[in-house]
Amino acid sequence: MTDLRPIGLLAELTHRCPLGCPYCSNPLDLVRAGQELDTKTWTRVFAEAAELGALHVHLSGGEPLVRKDIAELVNAAHLAGLYTNLITSAVGLTAQSLTELRAAGLEHVQISIQGVDTARADAVAHHKGAAKAKREAAKLVVEEGLALTVNAVIHRGNIADVAAIIDLAEGWGAGRLEVAHVQYHGWAIANRASLMPAREDFLAAAKIVEDARKRLEGTLVIDHVIPDYYAERPKACMGGWGRQVIVVAPDGRALPCHAAATLPGLAFDNVREKPLGEIWTNSEAFQKFRGTEWMPKPCQGCERAEIDWGGCRCQAFALTGNPATTDPVCALSPDHQKMREMATADAASTNGTYRFRRIGG
Amino acid sequence: MSAADAKPRLAPGVKLRDDAQGSKLLGPERILELDEIARAIVAQFDGQKRVSDIAAALAKEYDAKAADIQVDIEHLLKDLTAKGYVKS
Repeated sequence: MTDLRPIGLLAELTHRCPLGCPYCSNPLDLVRAGQELDTKTWTRVFAEAAELGALHVHLSGGEPLVRKDIAELVNAAHLAGLYTNLITSAVGLTAQSLTELRAAGLEHVQISIQGVDTARADAVAHHKGAAKAKREAAKLVVEEGLALTVNAVIHRGNIADVAAIIDLAEGWGAGRLEVAHVQYHGWAIANRASLMPAREDFLAAAKIVEDARKRLEGTLVIDHVIPDYYAERPKACMGGWGRQVIVVAPDGRALPCHAAATLPGLAFDNVREKPLGEIWTNSEAFQKFRGTEWMPKPCQGCERAEIDWGGCRCQAFALTGNPATTDPVCALSPDHQKMREMATADAASTNGTYRFRRIGG
Repeated sequence: MSAADAKPRLAPGVKLRDDAQGSKLLGPERILELDEIARAIVAQFDGQKRVSDIAAALAKEYDAKAADIQVDIEHLLKDLTAKGYVKS
């Protein structure tokens, strides 16, 4: 049992996406269109999430705009009382669809960008014309009076452009910018040697971001997600396992985080079969790493145990093979040094090719 | 423009929400809990009223000095503007 209430629902409406970004956080084993939840089931899930206490819904994917019922889904979430956030590549976002989405109750649009140089950005997105489509869509969002966030995933191929990315977000009229270094889950693990920046390049970029934050205070909110492999303390992944967020995958599996399906030995309940509240409270998967009881040393008894909640389970598993060990990002982890050496080796790699994300890939 | 003449409004994508757990501002990927006083002030941020008008109205309602309330409003306005919740 738990008294905890989720504050957000991450609704992965589909894994289909026109882009092929090599750092996509979706799992390698992507859900196919035929397995996706229908409109009616999502409508029920939104109502159950709101009932459970969730305030925000993040309509994500894949690319949520490939769902033909996207306006209906936005409206269902809005009517349930949730704050509606569309997380999109913006490829396929037209003036007409935006007007429809706004009328349906959409409150905020987050557009991802791959960089500032059109050719290089399109190459990373693996989609010709993506950069242009994003630029045009961002303009439409601001003209509609909707809130715009620009999300820029940072890696070795664009880390030198961080200052230009900030200028671009400001120029587009965004209210918020996420400068998010790649998190190594899903496809990003497969491409780690091509994505990892050098530590000194990260430090230089971080300084630019922190300076811009001060300079643009009141104009542009900048959220900075630093690269785990160069950190000394882990993040409270998802605000702690089963504490703040529920992810519902396109096929209806309810997950404590979007990469949780990669963990061995965990069974996930499906919203097709059980109400969301019951899954949140009682399911084995949500209880497995909730709280502090499961923690090994050095987490057990650590003064940061209830700050970072032991870090990221999926990262612990990816780097050590054991999901129940301390996240190696923590300097107190016995695996920390090995992780740092791996990052240094990856950063020095001359591998510049990507394995692009694709269904059946 | 002096702070008293500012006409604050919620930034795009920011909503005031009241529920059983209290009042809060919801914005993209963020939530800010408001106490009763902050809620009363923020509810007046409609882009039409000046800070000085809001202070006068709330002074009447709460039987307090307008000058004191104006200090509270300016303080809150500065904080919420820096955090991106409010524009003026």
